[in-house]
Amino acid sequence: MRSVPLRTARTLVDVLAAAPAGAAADADLPGLRAGLEAAARDAAAVGGWHPDDPLRLTKAVVADLLRCPRRALAPAEGGVTDDVVAGLVVDAAAKLATLVPHRPPTVEDACAYLRALGDTTVDDHLADRGEAAEPLRAELRARVERLVAAWPRIDPAWWPRVEDPVRVRLADGAVTVGGRIDVVLGGAPTERPAVLVEVKGGRWWDGMRADAHLYALVVALRDGRPPAAVVTVVADGTTQVEPVRPAVLATAADRVERALATAAALAAGEAPATRPGPHCDHCPARAGCPAAGVRAEALAG
Amino acid sequence: MTATPPLGDAVGAADRLAAAVTAGIDAALDAAPAPPGDVDVGWVAALDATACPARFRGQGETGWGFPGWTPATAAGAVARSALDHHLHGPDPDCPPAPLEAVRDWMRTATSIGARGVAGWVAELRADGDGPALAATAAGAARWIAGFVRTLGWPLPERLALLNVARDDAPVARWSPRRGAPVRVRSGADARIGRIVGAGGHRLVVHRPVAGDDGQLRRRAAFEAAAGALVHRVAAAEVVVTTGDTGERVRVPVDEALLAAGGEMVVEVVRQRVRAVERGHDPADARPSPACRWCEVADGCGPGRDWLARAGRWRGGLPVLAPG
Repeated sequence: MRSVPLRTARTLVDVLAAAPAGAAADADLPGLRAGLEAAARDAAAVGGWHPDDPLRLTKAVVADLLRCPRRALAPAEGGVTDDVVAGLVVDAAAKLATLVPHRPPTVEDACAYLRALGDTTVDDHLADRGEAAEPLRAELRARVERLVAAWPRIDPAWWPRVEDPVRVRLADGAVTVGGRIDVVLGGAPTERPAVLVEVKGGRWWDGMRADAHLYALVVALRDGRPPAAVVTVVADGTTQVEPVRPAVLATAADRVERALATAAALAAGEAPATRPGPHCDHCPARAGCPAAGVRAEALAG
Repeated sequence: MTATPPLGDAVGAADRLAAAVTAGIDAALDAAPAPPGDVDVGWVAALDATACPARFRGQGETGWGFPGWTPATAAGAVARSALDHHLHGPDPDCPPAPLEAVRDWMRTATSIGARGVAGWVAELRADGDGPALAATAAGAARWIAGFVRTLGWPLPERLALLNVARDDAPVARWSPRRGAPVRVRSGADARIGRIVGAGGHRLVVHRPVAGDDGQLRRRAAFEAAAGALVHRVAAAEVVVTTGDTGERVRVPVDEALLAAGGEMVVEVVRQRVRAVERGHDPADARPSPACRWCEVADGCGPGRDWLARAGRWRGGLPVLAPG
């Protein structure tokens, strides 16, 4: 296997071959934690959260609070779309490729894995679509094939973990920041550096980087040791490799602090701001939203 | 990790606890209008019965019993057995690569009639159910990685995994007397130190994902009591580790903690007796954030009121006003 420096790594294979040392080993983690603690205490004082019923910040909530606070308060759409199904299948395929490396997963394998976990969303959606689902099935096959092509056979010494939960408690537990990372390789207690892998079923867009940065921050705070890299593998064939530098962690912490301030204002009764953008197209609260209406008119005109 | 001073009389403390719990259970059963059936008391039942008696009673027989093995319910049991297998294997000083350790143990699970999770895994293997095995391995590998990360490697000296699928492993159960309908199960994942009359051993409880702080204290109390009942010796402390936060909390065991845990055991029996009398009764509801996921919330006035009043959802953010 060729070995390349992490800074020129382009694929997950490159990253694992580089066995990178942490680029953010000198990051000021105590300083970052202190800033987040202060922001969380300020927010909890306003928002009234407490350890038994905390504010739970996930990557999606942080992104929504910063992008459009009104969207952050909107209930999730209940319907299952082709995009949701594609995300589930690609995600499951990546996990199977990690767990059973000697057998490249298929769409059927991914569906069976989801069924084993009690999730029949994909089965139900495909059954509901009947014969009309054939183009979707073909698209799922293509996406899984692209994912498999980008996925290396992972040495067990990396201690691969899928859906690994990670969380940081702030303000004595009144605020938590966390989520489940699609695939975690290395990190404590192994002697290898941590590499976090996020899998996306759709198309690459730059906002995906912030999700990975947030997980890098949370893992760094939990383990006291920053991950070496975050890798986002997208089903459109894109692989985004980012070494975790101190600036990445600082930017992620700044986003969390700003999200906390917005959450506190909303909890205190402030009307949510509306900020139109491409996210309006998929917003569950676009009906009745003045900003979404203005955007739609602008696009039409 | 340094040990805290053990209880002055670890055997005496366990004996006093057993007497108090037996008296409480007997009083509850004596007051029963009809036998409540077999009462299996583990941590989940203890938490449910004390957190919201109305919800606990509303679950009925299906909710009170073991839901059966699934990848989710089997993760911890498989992980303990796999780690135990590794620690008793040819290279116990080598850190256990979690997925490999799980796979190695799964290969040994060949007897369909075997006790506990080993029999279930053997069935999956016989059926060629690769997806379920993979899903189970995923959960178990996460468990092992979190356990080893929070406790550190090498693991503490004299650590022994508990509740493992090994033929010679003891069954961690206690009953007030032979033939009694009540059984208390210890859910501790490991112990550190041998169990001797002088006490001093520690129990380890690993939670892959944390609940709230109050739950941690209740878990420590329940496992301290269950462990004292099962082993007839009280532990010196309960070490609660949490995978997602990486926390390791040591809770010293004293008479008050044991009493609190014993009371949780008795409360399960009381509520099962009341279930015979009254079933689900919203008057006993203790509304909390758990109402959001409660399966009997629709028929529970206090729970509905709490949900309406709280006005929070999606992890603590307010609801978007209609319109």
